[in-house]
Amino acid sequence: MKPPAEWIHRILDLSLLRCASLVVPGKQRSEWWREWHAELWHVRQACAPEGSASWMGEREITAFCLGAFRDALCLRGDFGKRTRPAAVFQGSAAQCVLALAAALVASYAVALLLPGVRAERSLSPRQVSPGLVLIQNAGYSDDDLPTISPAQYRVWKGRKQQYFDGFAFYRVAQESVEREFASSGSREQESWEIARASSNLFVLLGLPVKFRSPEAKADSSLPELILSEKTWKREFGADPNVSGMEMNVGQRRARIVGIVPDDSRGLPGNVDAWLLQPDSAIVSSGVGYAVAHLTALGESEMWRPRVPITVYNSDEPEDDLLGISLGEGTPEPWPVFLFTVLLAFLALPAVTSVSLGEYSVCSQRPSWSKKLCSWGFLIAKIALLLAIVNFVSLDLAYARTTLASTQAVYIQLVSSFSLCLFGLRWVFKDQRQRCPVCLRRVEHPAQVGLASRTFLAWNGTELVCMGGHTLLHVPGLPTSWFSTQRWLYLDTSWEFLFAPSVAGPRNELLSGWSAH
Amino acid sequence: MATEPKLSHTAAMILQALDAGFVYGFSIMEMTGLPSGTVYPAMRRLEGEQLIRSQWERQSVADAEQRPPRKYYKLTPAGRETLQASRKRYPLLERLIPTEEEKSV
Repeated sequence: MKPPAEWIHRILDLSLLRCASLVVPGKQRSEWWREWHAELWHVRQACAPEGSASWMGEREITAFCLGAFRDALCLRGDFGKRTRPAAVFQGSAAQCVLALAAALVASYAVALLLPGVRAERSLSPRQVSPGLVLIQNAGYSDDDLPTISPAQYRVWKGRKQQYFDGFAFYRVAQESVEREFASSGSREQESWEIARASSNLFVLLGLPVKFRSPEAKADSSLPELILSEKTWKREFGADPNVSGMEMNVGQRRARIVGIVPDDSRGLPGNVDAWLLQPDSAIVSSGVGYAVAHLTALGESEMWRPRVPITVYNSDEPEDDLLGISLGEGTPEPWPVFLFTVLLAFLALPAVTSVSLGEYSVCSQRPSWSKKLCSWGFLIAKIALLLAIVNFVSLDLAYARTTLASTQAVYIQLVSSFSLCLFGLRWVFKDQRQRCPVCLRRVEHPAQVGLASRTFLAWNGTELVCMGGHTLLHVPGLPTSWFSTQRWLYLDTSWEFLFAPSVAGPRNELLSGWSAH
Repeated sequence: MATEPKLSHTAAMILQALDAGFVYGFSIMEMTGLPSGTVYPAMRRLEGEQLIRSQWERQSVADAEQRPPRKYYKLTPAGRETLQASRKRYPLLERLIPTEEEKSV
């Protein structure tokens, strides 16, 4: 009986061969598989005969199987050449657009898979009211710690304010919740992070509460419970009919009235659900978080994301507080992306020539329709590139975080700018090497002249359009008499070289072209 | 002007190995030391250029030896001519892979 390691190796080798066979064109696959399978049998007999398998032998066998991929690719390549004798597709504008479209689809698919990107997209555009601040005690370095007492909040709310026109308070604590399952009649008790919040909190924040039903709101006898998006998905399987369900929170019965998107508005506390209650029901003990809305005067004073606030009390020492701007600390991905695109366009002339190099050696010019196609192709490339950059930068920024963190914004900023800049550089470089007539990339670069004789004779690179339309002359060293690339439009005397009936000689000649 | 295809050294080695009696892909690999990813694609190209031809051995022969049937390769007359020309181009070829006749000499 064969040892398990040998079986594993055999299965691995056969899997490699089977994978490679998928690359082989269907018509040749069965014979190809038969040959490689038979050869593998002999290779195994030679390198690792039964009962005397060794690591070195198995390595040789695996190397043999890996070679099958190259063979399969060669067959695929030959098949491609036979089925497309003129190789029209290779290097064409359509190929370029399709490749970019494929990259776009791939980056979008990754964006759909990453929970961070999904969360960010589901919140966009954010609807947090402008002019919101989180008020925290200035004596604490950690913004996530609760520092405001309900008594402080009540005092502020009761006073006439110059800088604020609305306050809300919430306090987070772990509480037991009990759910009833209508289908089985069973009950389940769990422990959630419940934020007991002022009933005006979400009105003040201006946040949309999803699935809020008018019936649920009409029955005001029960406190309203708003689930966070993550809890809704985790505990209720993202059931859209969750609104209206009742459950016990602590000792009280509450009714679920909607779902609120997770995170991102900068509210501290990892909250599973928000229990809205009137201010009179807020317990005086403990500490929590206070959110305030700025008046116009307050907004004019809020000139930084963090502003110190001093509260003067008549008979007590003054409170040193900190106003932390909500929603402004982390800019949204779309404006960040637009900003980087603008920066990249501004920086582009520093890294490449923005000229499209459509200068002709002779007086011949492409027709208006060709020019229009060329511009359309350029615009399509830029549009696809920007879409790819947008998704890739989001993928990179939110790959490891589900929160709109400052780190994510920086990652998006840097990646979006870099990708955009170098992507645009490629777009322009690619466009300059596209035949103005057929938009195919010019190929077969041939070095002409010597660099040491630049001032005596022309020195540079010549490329040819495989459609037989143009020759591109690129100077090796720009001079006053030949500073930029020029196109030479080929006349009918060149046609014999590119005619399909002489495909063989053409290839031979062009191979020689590359060599001289 | 005669258009004799100029073979690469690898292709010439494969032709020489076939001429020396190494008629299977794996035996050519062993003889030449070339990897499978080089030998098999090269043989396909040589077959495409009609310098060699392939044939499956009879099932009965393989069954008798309790192994799967193999595909073996042979030089065509054109391949033999090309090999002769390649031997002039690569004089060490015959010393690297001697044929049976050369061994006996």
